[in-house]
Amino acid sequence: MKRIFYAAAALVASALNSIAHAEIDARAIAFNCRNCHAESSLDAKSSIPSLKNLSAQQIRQALLDFKYDKNPATLMPRLAKAYSDAELAAVAEFLSRN
Amino acid sequence: MAGLSRRRFLQGVAGLGAGVLSGCGGLPLRSGAKAHVVVVGGGFGGATAAKYLRLLDANIQVTLIEPKAKYVTCPGSNWLFAGLANLDQLTVDYQSLQDSYGVKLLVDRVSSLGAAQRLLRLVGGQSVTYDRLIMSPGIDFRWDAMAGYDQAAAEQFPHAWQAGPQTLLLARQLQAMPDGGVVLMVVPADPYRCPPGPYERASMMAYWLKQHKPRSKILILDAKRSFSKQALFEAGWAKHYGYGTANSLIEWHSLADNPLLELDKQNRMLTSEFGDSFRGDVLNIIPPQTAAQIALQQGLTDSTAWCPVRPLTGQSLFDEFIHVIGDSAHYAPIPKSAFAANSEAKACALAVTSLINQTPIAEAHWLNTCYSLITPEHGISVAGVYELDSANAIAPVKGAGGVSARTDGEAAAMEADYTRAVYRSLIADTFG
Repeated sequence: MKRIFYAAAALVASALNSIAHAEIDARAIAFNCRNCHAESSLDAKSSIPSLKNLSAQQIRQALLDFKYDKNPATLMPRLAKAYSDAELAAVAEFLSRN
Repeated sequence: MAGLSRRRFLQGVAGLGAGVLSGCGGLPLRSGAKAHVVVVGGGFGGATAAKYLRLLDANIQVTLIEPKAKYVTCPGSNWLFAGLANLDQLTVDYQSLQDSYGVKLLVDRVSSLGAAQRLLRLVGGQSVTYDRLIMSPGIDFRWDAMAGYDQAAAEQFPHAWQAGPQTLLLARQLQAMPDGGVVLMVVPADPYRCPPGPYERASMMAYWLKQHKPRSKILILDAKRSFSKQALFEAGWAKHYGYGTANSLIEWHSLADNPLLELDKQNRMLTSEFGDSFRGDVLNIIPPQTAAQIALQQGLTDSTAWCPVRPLTGQSLFDEFIHVIGDSAHYAPIPKSAFAANSEAKACALAVTSLINQTPIAEAHWLNTCYSLITPEHGISVAGVYELDSANAIAPVKGAGGVSARTDGEAAAMEADYTRAVYRSLIADTFG
């Protein structure tokens, strides 16, 4: 039941968001990911994964899993819940290209 | 500006467009530059703004004005008290901003601001003109809040709320304290830089005292009724430092209704309004804070002594060509943290490039994540995600953010690890 609710909520949210945010500027959200997910080669052993070399689909799925509590983690579920699915998809797309 | 008449100077500006002018003439804009943005203050807000402006639009010339060639980060500075870091490890410079991003650095201090001419005069004699100015000057202290505690007294009883010599002084005092001694930590009312900072500091001091001077005590005298991550801190203190027992290394007292009014330097004693007195061997007095002096002097603050801004762009309510970010600006409910300053700088850089290029300004998104260490292996966190509400005010996004949900040993160890990793990432993102 919970899963169905989430799926329905996600559908409605993404439909609403495609209207409300016809043009999401993913940079405004995605720049904030870099605070923790550094791209610096100096920190190759960091426990926080680099987002380099991940596809848009991989990042998007990870973000959705955090948002809908399918992947328990310490911090990311608290952050991913702030964004619509459309915003998370746009962020994933941006991060995979930059 | 020496030897240049105002008229000749203004003619020079008109001829050059905006740029940096020295006493012996003007430096032209780099070829192709369409605007000159000057950033004042090279902390987490200013350095991030300078870097991201250049990343977003390499045709914008960016000059960063910062009095210190090297900067000691406040995040991580509490680690000194636990012996987990030294000042060198917390020191950054601006080489990468210059070499990798083409930011022009002026190691100098602003002496005055001519907002009408969009002109800054520097103590070193140069004048700098700007198309847009981003101010990120940080904090200053209210020295009139407690009788007997002024700037001179802070050399004896350090606040250590700007990392550097004050931090070292306080760490040395802690190390020199006799076993069984008392550390008094005085914490101001909101708002101030780094809301959980005092409690992380108490934790790091307690960690060191537990190993070296276990009969000692840290007394936190707080002007607030509650504090950031309170439940997580108190649970951590109970687990590691005997909090709540007679032998606790840490005691917390709210003095919200009984403010501390006076410092007796000779006897290292603090007295409250109701006449209670507290004597300590080491006094860490963190005074109430304001926006930095330069912001106060230039009329960018309101009656709160912080700078009011339009949240979407960071523009000062008093001057549309001046943006204010970081601790000196009023971004509440976003707390005054390095992470938040970095996030505010990115939103501001996006808005400034849009204003210069006359393109629509994107919806702003802000983030704050703050980790604190209770021991080297026990970390806790709080996060907030913020957006503009329908009234164009900053509001936390409902259903997001909050404090660590899991507090078991495994999660605590992960968050301790993330504390260090996020510090390194934040440095790389801001200064690297």
